[in-house]
Amino acid sequence: MTGPLSITAENHHAGYGMQEIVKSISCSFSPGTFTGIIGPNGSGKTTLLRAFSRVIPASGILELNGREIHNYTPAELGIALGFVPQDEERPFSYTVLQVVLMARYTRTSRFSSLTPVDYARCHAALEETGIAHLENRSIRALSGGEWQRVLIARALAQETKVLLLDEPTSHLDLTHQSDVLSLMRDLAGSGSTIIGVFHDLNLAALFCDRLIMIRNGQIVADDTPSRVLTPGKIRDVYGADVITSVHPATGRTFLMPLAVTTDRIAPDNTLNVLVISGGGSGTDLLHFLSRKGFSLTAGILATTDNDYLTAKELGIPCIPILPFSQIPAHSLKKLRSLFFRADRIILSMHPVGTGNLPVLLALREADPARIIVHLPEGRDILSYDFAKGVAAAHFQDLCTAGTQCTGSFNGILKLLDTALPKILQSPE
Amino acid sequence: MTRTIPLIICLAVTSVLTIIICTFTGPAGFGFVSTAPGAADIVGGIRLPRVLAAFFVGASLAVAGAAMQSLFRNPMADPYILGTSSGGALGASFAIVFLGGVFVPVFAWIGAVGAILIVWSIAGRRGMISVETLLLTGIAVSFFFSALVSFLIAIAGQNVHQIIFWLMGGFWNVSLPDAFLAAGILVPAGALLFFMGRDLNALSLGEETAAHLGIDATRVRWTVLGGSTLLVASAVSIAGSIGFIGLVTPHIVRMLIGPDNRVVIPASILAGGILLVLSDTLARTFFSDLPVGIITAFIGAPFFIWLIHQREIAA
Repeated sequence: MTGPLSITAENHHAGYGMQEIVKSISCSFSPGTFTGIIGPNGSGKTTLLRAFSRVIPASGILELNGREIHNYTPAELGIALGFVPQDEERPFSYTVLQVVLMARYTRTSRFSSLTPVDYARCHAALEETGIAHLENRSIRALSGGEWQRVLIARALAQETKVLLLDEPTSHLDLTHQSDVLSLMRDLAGSGSTIIGVFHDLNLAALFCDRLIMIRNGQIVADDTPSRVLTPGKIRDVYGADVITSVHPATGRTFLMPLAVTTDRIAPDNTLNVLVISGGGSGTDLLHFLSRKGFSLTAGILATTDNDYLTAKELGIPCIPILPFSQIPAHSLKKLRSLFFRADRIILSMHPVGTGNLPVLLALREADPARIIVHLPEGRDILSYDFAKGVAAAHFQDLCTAGTQCTGSFNGILKLLDTALPKILQSPE
Repeated sequence: MTRTIPLIICLAVTSVLTIIICTFTGPAGFGFVSTAPGAADIVGGIRLPRVLAAFFVGASLAVAGAAMQSLFRNPMADPYILGTSSGGALGASFAIVFLGGVFVPVFAWIGAVGAILIVWSIAGRRGMISVETLLLTGIAVSFFFSALVSFLIAIAGQNVHQIIFWLMGGFWNVSLPDAFLAAGILVPAGALLFFMGRDLNALSLGEETAAHLGIDATRVRWTVLGGSTLLVASAVSIAGSIGFIGLVTPHIVRMLIGPDNRVVIPASILAGGILLVLSDTLARTFFSDLPVGIITAFIGAPFFIWLIHQREIAA
């Protein structure tokens, strides 16, 4: 039994009593990898992990390093495979060191005492998890996070080549989360097989080489984090809308949940609002109005513009154009048609140069009564002019032509609210 | 760890001293050398068997209690929790009512072991079962047997007095063979539990934890239950159901040296023995030979309440 260990599961079923939680799962884990198991609550993640460690009955083939796991004696398994539970009962006041030393029980005969090597390994594990100072503390006096680190230290002291982690960081703060998971990644780097159940998808994406996504006890996806964590799969499995991106600093996939709830109700949707913005000026406004449940459209946006990305994420239609190019005539034509369809047009003040000046000119043709100009408080119109005063002049004209001006999002909301009854009362 | 060796030595010395002093103490007076007629008979024939039996019975109950508490992950568990005492009571009452009081210890033993076998066969039928199921089954069986004992008391007539006294527990009729019988069970079963100290430690954090640490949790559970049952059954057959020793002794020990079972087990053996010998000496010397179960419960119950109170403060 030397060398790194690998786990293979084939047609694996497991559950409690009559209830089958894990259904026909086949996967294998090779040494030197850190795999995350993800999935919504009740999908069978923990059950799968517990079936791997043999504490719940399972059917199918489960092999540890080529040998059927049921043929291992408990002691052999205790040396081959470690497990970090989410939590554990603490009915008696053992000291932290006593609990960690339990990891070494299988390595020495019950008729002899633990050796200095055992103590050294346990002290090292306490150091690695940053709880050496708690060594003589009673476990009943520990916080949830400290206790979780004791459980991790115990599994480290067990020195197993395979480590199963059931949400190992659920009680940990930010620093300790990344400390513990970095430690696990280093262990994987030195040839261990690490398998962890994760709730936090970003942590899983950041530290794991591979993610297995399960739903209703079955594998939905099994690949690298960037291929598993796609908005489509996450909507399928979790029923949540997210946006994913590659983090510029880590190069890892990360995702953010989108607010899908609206704090206002259905009738508001009838107000069609067109937002003219650019250079990222509309990002927050689009999110704000989207949350409020308006039916939104965006204007002409370059595909490198943050506003374009926001509109795309929120599913807001817009007129995309290539960056650093002249606005094509057909795009302007389309924009004009949008002017007529919109109940309200919001001009979110943004930098205007010769390139996007045509938009402003087109806006002059629209009904000023339906235009709301959003000039953030404390900003000067001139600061948006990159067309030698031409843009500023047009801005000024718009403001005096009967449009409504406001400096805040709430101001916009109020103006939209006053527009609402009229729209609803109109025969159309 | 540094306190454990001195504590065990201290307890061992105290045990020997307690046994010696209590053997020479009694309602007939105290003395190492007594010139009174019949003194040798009283000391050697009555007191010595009684003190030794009390020591071994107390030790058996305390060590079984310590093991059960770890097994059930509950410091409030006592060795009778699975129905040993009510089973023993049923056996003893049966012998008293129907057999005119012969073979009471034998029937008590059969009742105690029988109760556990019934619990096992009900709760353990499905292979791997949870400790909670075992505990609940034990409590149910215990109540059922208590009902039968009450029924026997109701129809016992003039034997009621005898049953009641048996239920309260005492060492009136013990002989030297009884003491040796208790020792004969205590030595191997105590040693077994002592060498399972580590397994009990791991098990006291949960069966799954123990399994993950490489311990055969199922085997340890049945071994510990088997050993504890034999200990409790021998204690019950000799002295009836004496309360609180098995519950309270492990607590005192844990307060002194922590919960490590490799120390708690031997320390409980000694401390349980000392406590019961002292209680029994009190009973026969100052309380005109009241059932010792009254003394232990009388002192034990307030102590237990104080203990619960302490836990509340600590939590």
